[in-house]
Amino acid sequence: PPAEGEAAKPSFADEAVQNLLYKMTGLNLQKVFRPVKKELKPPTYKLMTEAQLEEATRKAIEEAKEKLIMPPVLKEREPIDDVLAEDKFLEGTETTKYVFTDLTYSIPHRERFIVVREPNGVLRKATWEERDRMIQIFFPKEGRRVIPPVVFKDEHLVNVFQQDRHEDILNMCIAQFEPDSPDYIRVHHRTYDDIEKHAKYDLLRSTRHFGGMVWYLVNRKKTDGLLIDMIHRDLLDDTTSLITLYHMLHPECQSAKAAEEGKLQGVDLIKVFVKTESQKEGYIQLALQAYEEAMATSTAS
Amino acid sequence: ALFAGSHLLKGYRGGHVVIRFALGGCTNRPFFRIVAAHSRRARDGKYLEQLGCLDPLPNAHGERVAGLNLERLRHWLGCGAQLSRPAEKLLGLAGFLPLHPMTVTGAERRRRRAQEPAAPPPDGSPGPGDAP
Repeated sequence: PPAEGEAAKPSFADEAVQNLLYKMTGLNLQKVFRPVKKELKPPTYKLMTEAQLEEATRKAIEEAKEKLIMPPVLKEREPIDDVLAEDKFLEGTETTKYVFTDLTYSIPHRERFIVVREPNGVLRKATWEERDRMIQIFFPKEGRRVIPPVVFKDEHLVNVFQQDRHEDILNMCIAQFEPDSPDYIRVHHRTYDDIEKHAKYDLLRSTRHFGGMVWYLVNRKKTDGLLIDMIHRDLLDDTTSLITLYHMLHPECQSAKAAEEGKLQGVDLIKVFVKTESQKEGYIQLALQAYEEAMATSTAS
Repeated sequence: ALFAGSHLLKGYRGGHVVIRFALGGCTNRPFFRIVAAHSRRARDGKYLEQLGCLDPLPNAHGERVAGLNLERLRHWLGCGAQLSRPAEKLLGLAGFLPLHPMTVTGAERRRRRAQEPAAPPPDGSPGPGDAP
């Protein structure tokens, strides 16, 4: 177990990592600005010159970049376990607990005081679930409910995945939970596992969840399916970015060292990676062969 | 306009600012607002500022929810507001003020009453009552 310093182990928020993930996410304007269910209005048509059309596309790309900002990936939060006062002689006075919330408007929610006085007289800080509930009651946020919807339980997530609505459930999860809550992490991991199991990577491409998914897969070294998918869709740049990211995160593996020495690029990098690191070597070799043949025929014709 | 103010600008003699509970809600469903108001005002009448709320009935998770705007509470206490006894008890329970002595006394009394061994045998005669 290496005691890696911060320079050695890149985190999700590093610029280099974010650039790689952003390149892999792709920018399919049709999908990003696909019609969201809003109230029904007749479509508006505008007559524009070429220059105006370019300007409009440029603005659309900027807005799409904003929509594609990746939600943070954090470690699970530590449970709060802090007793402020013990007054055992109050035992039996009350039958239910009191939850006190500080309603001062100008303090951030993370620093808010939320304390619980139990019936046995103990005054303790509230747990994370109690905190989230109270903050939602007094400072309601759009799209978040006081009691998390039942759809986030494992047995119901299965139904969601069968309907291929991974992106919707991830958006709901971002709205409902805090990024470091165990529920958020659990739902995201289940979604990523299901996508990886059924190779449905394209569902998240060009959304803001793609980066998180890639990060999860690379950390657990389950990148083979994604590689195959990318090669099938002729996205060679994305494959190289993926392998670069893998090398950044696991610098001690063989292919990383080989790439460092040889300064390999493109298809060679993929071949070295496939030989050393992947489990589904056969599939990836096949896909690479098919790709090279396609390239050869297209350049020949 | 000034003529409309004759009912609104009620002038009181004496009185001070108190922080107390104003009762609201419906039949069999109380709900308290913690409020800074003049002591001479009606309990549920016009107040200076609402500083929080208390729901005395337990919710689905078995807790009684209370919110307190501590910053404004400190402001009013700094302006010299007084507290009603239930407000003091609540703030004592919350930990903002030290525990009210009556809370402690009430707990002791309850414990003493619960610990009294078998209740004294019920007498048919009124015991050492006043005989006419």
